[in-house]
Amino acid sequence: MLPITPRGFKDVLPQEARWREDITSRVRALLDLWGYAPIETPTLEVLEVLEQAGSMSSMPFRLFDTDNQLLVLRPDVTLPLARLVAARLSPEDLPLRLRYVQRVFREEESLRAQAREFTQVGVELIGIAGPWADAEVVQLFIEALDTCGLRGFTVSLCTVAVLNDLLDAAVAKGGADESWRREVLAAFHASNLVRVERLADDPRVNERFRLAVRKLFAVNGGREAIESCRALVGPLGCGDGLDALEATWQLLEALGSSERARIDFSVMCSFDYYTGLVFEAYAPGSGSALGSGGRYDRTLAAFGHDAPAAGCAFCLETVMHALDAQGSAGADASAGAGAGAGTGTAVSMAEPTAAAALEAFAAAAALRATGTTAQLTHTTPKGEVL
Amino acid sequence: MRPLKVAVPKGALFEESVARLAAAGLDVAGLADPGRQLTVSAEGVEYFIVRPTDAPIFVSYGGVDCGICGRDSLEEAALELVELVDLGFGSCRFVVAEPASACGVAEDSYRRLGVLRVATKYPRIASLYYDSIGVQVEIVKMHGNIELAPLCGMADRIVDITATGATLRENNLVIVDEVLSSTARFVGNSASVRTDPRVRELANCLAASAV
Repeated sequence: MLPITPRGFKDVLPQEARWREDITSRVRALLDLWGYAPIETPTLEVLEVLEQAGSMSSMPFRLFDTDNQLLVLRPDVTLPLARLVAARLSPEDLPLRLRYVQRVFREEESLRAQAREFTQVGVELIGIAGPWADAEVVQLFIEALDTCGLRGFTVSLCTVAVLNDLLDAAVAKGGADESWRREVLAAFHASNLVRVERLADDPRVNERFRLAVRKLFAVNGGREAIESCRALVGPLGCGDGLDALEATWQLLEALGSSERARIDFSVMCSFDYYTGLVFEAYAPGSGSALGSGGRYDRTLAAFGHDAPAAGCAFCLETVMHALDAQGSAGADASAGAGAGAGTGTAVSMAEPTAAAALEAFAAAAALRATGTTAQLTHTTPKGEVL
Repeated sequence: MRPLKVAVPKGALFEESVARLAAAGLDVAGLADPGRQLTVSAEGVEYFIVRPTDAPIFVSYGGVDCGICGRDSLEEAALELVELVDLGFGSCRFVVAEPASACGVAEDSYRRLGVLRVATKYPRIASLYYDSIGVQVEIVKMHGNIELAPLCGMADRIVDITATGATLRENNLVIVDEVLSSTARFVGNSASVRTDPRVRELANCLAASAV
């Protein structure tokens, strides 16, 4: 059999590995400065436990262990971390600021050019609600992508609270039923405007609610987009999340980050556990989102420990593709790290004797003590370097 | 600023797609007779002439910013993208058909054997449909002339696309159920929709001329 890897899994050779390390160590340093502590979760989780927090939108790898327990390889880090925090930490530990760099695994159909293993670099801020916590996570996300060396990326943000509020009101007083509500949510999640418009044609639902649902998808821009949204849903008695979104935006503006950000109410398409702010980052030359995040205030309660939480993560491999597309591939990035693969001072063992080896080890150690990379080499009795 | 990349479907949807893009204000002169050319450059825009079933792939993976294709191709591809406008043209239906002479045979065989064999070019659409009505089927993916499969007894039924029903009639096949109806859609790459205002502007112009 040929020595292949499974589809969607790949080896990381030294040049790429060094570039990965360089990016992640710079982001780690940034997150450390913000007071985020490292954390790790196991590779395998119990499926039934994770599903307590809601259905998973990605397809995890599943397996049975010898106890006949149904396990999954973690398809993301947010749910396992919520489980960990709920199970292991007590209320007095809050607020928690946690950071991670972890591989995640997702089943994908074949012939779709999709990796089934990738690396998420992310943070979770647990125990604090409110716009300043939201702004911290977004600002951190922007600074982390900056630290990676990305230029010209955009973070699109909005709040899912306004759509939920609007649909609740449509059910309560606009003649809509539960199945209509579910279908509109599903259409937003699928980014299917045509379907949203078709549902907004449903004559059973009050016309003002239908108009608001139809128009919400297209609301985007700077701060004025929040006003447009308020004008759209305010007269219907809705507007949950908009004050918080505006306060978050104001903070981002004051921090000088609003030019990297945009309000866009079409971004309500990621996981269904989000309860407020949601955002996604896009870069030119990258066809899909670099990463995403949001507020998920009900997830920890599902694991038996009620606490508000927000977080974000980017996919390391997607960011590296975007860096490559903008011409900032790994070579220059590794220059600052001191040593490329195989470079440094060579310390040679001339003769195959214990004394010569000891001498070489000692000489190399002396060089390393001064901060110079020293690599041991061996020569044959004829003087050829091995 | 780089040109906006637009996927234009060749085949049945081509002519009307070009007309709609023209009505939306794009320079489509180069698309009038592209010959064997697969890309056409015009003022501020670059067209990529693609197979309709491949349009969702070009859009989803960011090869182009946006494009036009039928709903059928979107359903079959099931890729992440933003479906922006129902352009209303190119309407066709997905139907289940069987030989006129074999009326009732498929039901009998389903009762005896507990499974139907269905030939189709659209395995995802066919299996979603049969899952939704709870009928157990074996789906065999084919690439063309699938009307032959029930005629030679290789399959009980077909799930296929039809605009007028003429091909089905000519081959003595009758429609036994409707699966879904399709029209042309304007779709955008999820990053382009959110970072390049030209995609939404084009969507708005196309929506205005679609009514």
